[in-house]
Amino acid sequence: MNFTIPTPAILPGSSGASRTADTRRRKLKASKIISWVIISLVLVLQVYPFLWLLLTSVRTADDFAANSAFGLPHSFTLSNFTRAISEGQLGTNILNSFIVTAASCLLIVVCGMTGAYAIQVLDFKGSKLVRGLFLMGIVVPVQVALVPLFIDYSKIHLLDTYQSMVIPLAGFALPMALYLFISFFSYIPRSIYEAASMDGANPYRVFFSITLPMSMNTIITVVMVNAIFIWNDFIFANTFVLTDGLKTIPLGLQNYIGAMGKTDWTATFAAVSITVTPLLLVFLVLNKAMIYGLESGATKG
Amino acid sequence: MLPQRSRLSVVLFLLPALLLFGGGVLLPIIQSLVLSFFSWDGISDMTFVGLQNYQRLLGGDAIFWTAFRNQWGYLVTCILLQMGGGLLLACLLMTITRGREIIKVLYLMPAVISTTAIALLFQRIYSFDPAGLLNSVLKSIGLGGLARPWLSDLHTVLTAVSIPEGWRFLGLYTILLYAALLSVPQELEEAARLDGANAWKVFTTVRFPHIKPVWATTLIMATTYALRGFDVPYLLTNGGPGQASELVTTYMYKTAFTSTDYGYASSIAVFIVLECLVAVGAIIALTRREAD
Repeated sequence: MNFTIPTPAILPGSSGASRTADTRRRKLKASKIISWVIISLVLVLQVYPFLWLLLTSVRTADDFAANSAFGLPHSFTLSNFTRAISEGQLGTNILNSFIVTAASCLLIVVCGMTGAYAIQVLDFKGSKLVRGLFLMGIVVPVQVALVPLFIDYSKIHLLDTYQSMVIPLAGFALPMALYLFISFFSYIPRSIYEAASMDGANPYRVFFSITLPMSMNTIITVVMVNAIFIWNDFIFANTFVLTDGLKTIPLGLQNYIGAMGKTDWTATFAAVSITVTPLLLVFLVLNKAMIYGLESGATKG
Repeated sequence: MLPQRSRLSVVLFLLPALLLFGGGVLLPIIQSLVLSFFSWDGISDMTFVGLQNYQRLLGGDAIFWTAFRNQWGYLVTCILLQMGGGLLLACLLMTITRGREIIKVLYLMPAVISTTAIALLFQRIYSFDPAGLLNSVLKSIGLGGLARPWLSDLHTVLTAVSIPEGWRFLGLYTILLYAALLSVPQELEEAARLDGANAWKVFTTVRFPHIKPVWATTLIMATTYALRGFDVPYLLTNGGPGQASELVTTYMYKTAFTSTDYGYASSIAVFIVLECLVAVGAIIALTRREAD
């Protein structure tokens, strides 16, 4: 607190002050109610679509067609899930998404950490330049890579592989991860490194015995932030994957969209529910790490 | 800095990141740049055409300019929702005392969902026959006259495909701006209030100046994301009806993979990169100048 500021209690004319305090309190109360109303309305907008998704996935197709499609269901069935699973290849899609996400995250963490270690800790000549080069990558739109990678992949027979998705996904996510690691490493006191070096530890030992163990929280943050975007990637998968066996969740779901003729909506919603659930659960458990990562990514930018 | 570092150790530690970034990002950018000076359908020989692709892009291609205008319409909708709505909600969150953490998590939920699922959801929300969520709500509050097939109406389709993107990340920007607002020193706000400043005055003189760096960063994020926005419009309407919701990104995608005009598609891709860089530069310049 700043002690030079007089508090309202010691202001002259205290009766007038208390009246203004009174109206201010009433005003505060009214504004609080308005805040809550708006916040709750937006909450409905953000959450209702999921409730609707879940409710629709457990009602019968007839009920969905006959009664208000957006109210509470009048029936309950799990047959939509059986149809969704038998119609599509959800199991394969989920497995593929998992493989691509895990491989990309591993690559991002390894490259991001070692790169940040070289730039921030080893701090070689020209490290500022290299850092700037990577940071520019944050704003580069992914579309620029589609045509060249498609051509390159078809030349070296990488089209229609897990790698074809992993390379650009990890590559475009790297700058942000690198940046998060750099800003975290800058908080590790120099003296720790100097002490280790005096004891004769080389850069490799320092990395594995000091930097890596201290970075666990940052690793979780980087993985959480990136996993969500990679798990949901549509554009690279849609461009580089052709066979059903390699399709990730976003592509698997696409089979249900815009199909001419009669769409099996309740089964479609069951399929969406199945695919949304794993990530949503992880998110609800680990949201602190993700929110922290997003916040530090933006505020320290 | 580390006393015992050798040149070899620097190279070894830097190499994985350089390889990944070089192969996945830098090389494709350079290749795009090179390809944009050629005409190539992927099968016959590449022919060097100089600046012809760019001449076509900037001069005669009406579809491209429609797509360019649409992309900016898409951008404005997204920025209004994300930065305007996000800032408003962040300020409102500051006024309440309970439930902030859970609200943050629930607001962020749409960001976890894949764009394909979002497209499916909104297809049903906008649907006209059978009446989708939006049209049902309009009818139930007596505005049935406004009901329309939102995705096939030329006047509404662009806004209709922009809203899902704005909605999806509204929670993200709310959280980022809220975190920034929390970092505003309480003493400054108190001092301004005691000087008789109302809520608006406190916001314009204390809060906003303090969060300005974060505001600039998030504005850059929102702008570049909107300029590369692709998934939802591609999945919902694929640019249609006609070119009413065509974006530069969807047009580039079609040019590349439907018309297999790789050279021309690359020049559009280069244009998107330049557009992003110019936008980022402009935002930085504008926020810097105001700060001076």
